[in-house]
Amino acid sequence: MQHLAHMSAAQNAQAKTAVEVRGLSHVYAGREGAVPALSDIELDVPAGRFVVIVGPSGCGKTSLLMMLAGLRPPSSGTILCDGRPITKPDPARVGVVFQEASLYPWLTAVENVEFPLVLKHAPRAERRARAEAMLKLVGLDGFGTRYPHELSGGMKQRVSIARGLVQDPPVLLMDEPFAALDEQTRMTMGHELLRIWSQTAKTVVFITHSLTEAVYLADEVIVMSARPGRILDRIAIDLPRPRTYQMMATDLFGRLRERIWEQIRTSP
Amino acid sequence: MRGSVIILVRIAILAALLAAWEVLPRLGLVNPMLLPPLSDVLGTLVAILGRADVHEALAVTGAEVVVAFIIAVPLGAALGVLAAENAYFGEIFRPMLFYVFSIPKSIFLPMFILTFGIGFPQKVAYATFSTVFIVIMSASAAVESVKAEHLLVAQSYGATPAQILRRVYLPSMLPILLEALRISMIFNFTGVMIAEMYAARTGIGHMIANWGENFQMPQLFAGVILLATAAMLFNELVRALETRCSTWRT
Repeated sequence: MQHLAHMSAAQNAQAKTAVEVRGLSHVYAGREGAVPALSDIELDVPAGRFVVIVGPSGCGKTSLLMMLAGLRPPSSGTILCDGRPITKPDPARVGVVFQEASLYPWLTAVENVEFPLVLKHAPRAERRARAEAMLKLVGLDGFGTRYPHELSGGMKQRVSIARGLVQDPPVLLMDEPFAALDEQTRMTMGHELLRIWSQTAKTVVFITHSLTEAVYLADEVIVMSARPGRILDRIAIDLPRPRTYQMMATDLFGRLRERIWEQIRTSP
Repeated sequence: MRGSVIILVRIAILAALLAAWEVLPRLGLVNPMLLPPLSDVLGTLVAILGRADVHEALAVTGAEVVVAFIIAVPLGAALGVLAAENAYFGEIFRPMLFYVFSIPKSIFLPMFILTFGIGFPQKVAYATFSTVFIVIMSASAAVESVKAEHLLVAQSYGATPAQILRRVYLPSMLPILLEALRISMIFNFTGVMIAEMYAARTGIGHMIANWGENFQMPQLFAGVILLATAAMLFNELVRALETRCSTWRT
């Protein structure tokens, strides 16, 4: 299983495109008239890739992710997933992992994970088995009966990831999933996410503020500018996989991180 | 250990109060005409519970309370949800509702008598009026307690509006709604009692007012015990439900 993802990362030239964004722009109505939020976004994410989007606050990263998830329509442009347009949420194609506190506090961990299957009226035994398997995948075997307030921040985000994967969508969107975690938990969760990714061979689009996190996780980092959000640069992260914590101390890691920071710092 | 001590102290205080109620009038330390001994009051309670006119009065009061509750709660809940969900309606009516909420409702009682008379409809109308504002406020608060990210998650997994209502709105709002139900019953019961004591031909509130005016203290206290017990029972029942439905609230 593990080398599946590595292979797809290596041969991405031939791999099919999982997510395609064409000429996407977005303008929203603000207090003082129309505000351009995203401008002329072009994006191709090959299947199996781990793509990280970074950019300053208010660059429209979250808006872009909402549109990829079909939760908000763009003003213009198209989004294709698996070759078909995204116009409304389609959990069979796209799973979403949100920021902190997106779990339902009145449901247990396993009930939270099976929530998308409940909406689809999946048979009880089947959805429970599937949810338990996902909890096991994210390292929470035996925690199914806990309520969110009985779990740590990192464990809650593991549940969120399990929920995002429960319908086995080819694409997983992640909106700053580890932003609220402390530094150590964040590092551990990043590493865990890479393990889960290599076991499931998903296409991941991951949004973050953290440049270290971006370089550590990504096959490719997409740097966005401040409002209106445009793509400034795409940086291939050619660090070998599996990634290790030691790589963070290498020159290559530092140079990549520096290059991203330079782009963000000098963007108008 | 601490918890059980607290419960013991509570029981001791209650027992001391009841004992004082029994002993002080009997020793003549308190005028037994004003405060009849507890045993006399309990004897009277048993006696009046066997009287046909008391049964009738209780039935009338019970019907007034139930009908007013059935009107005020859905009406208030609908208006409250509207005020929270519909920006236009909310902007216009929310300040007005807040102003009216602050007014003691009993000053409107004479108008209700002039409009509806002193029968069943007036009791129901006045109790509904006393209750509906607190229900509106609570329902608004309940809707606003629903978290935007919880709605977003459901939408991203393709939930239909009906599923969002049942699986997100309802469980989010349930603890606040149950609390609202409990508090609105207090307002509702109070409304019926005030209306009955002020002007009525029947009903247990009317009887209690009469017993007071005629200086029938054992009957008066028996009536008070009866109504206090009924109110506390309802309150505790809903509170038990509340606790069961809000274990997840931290």
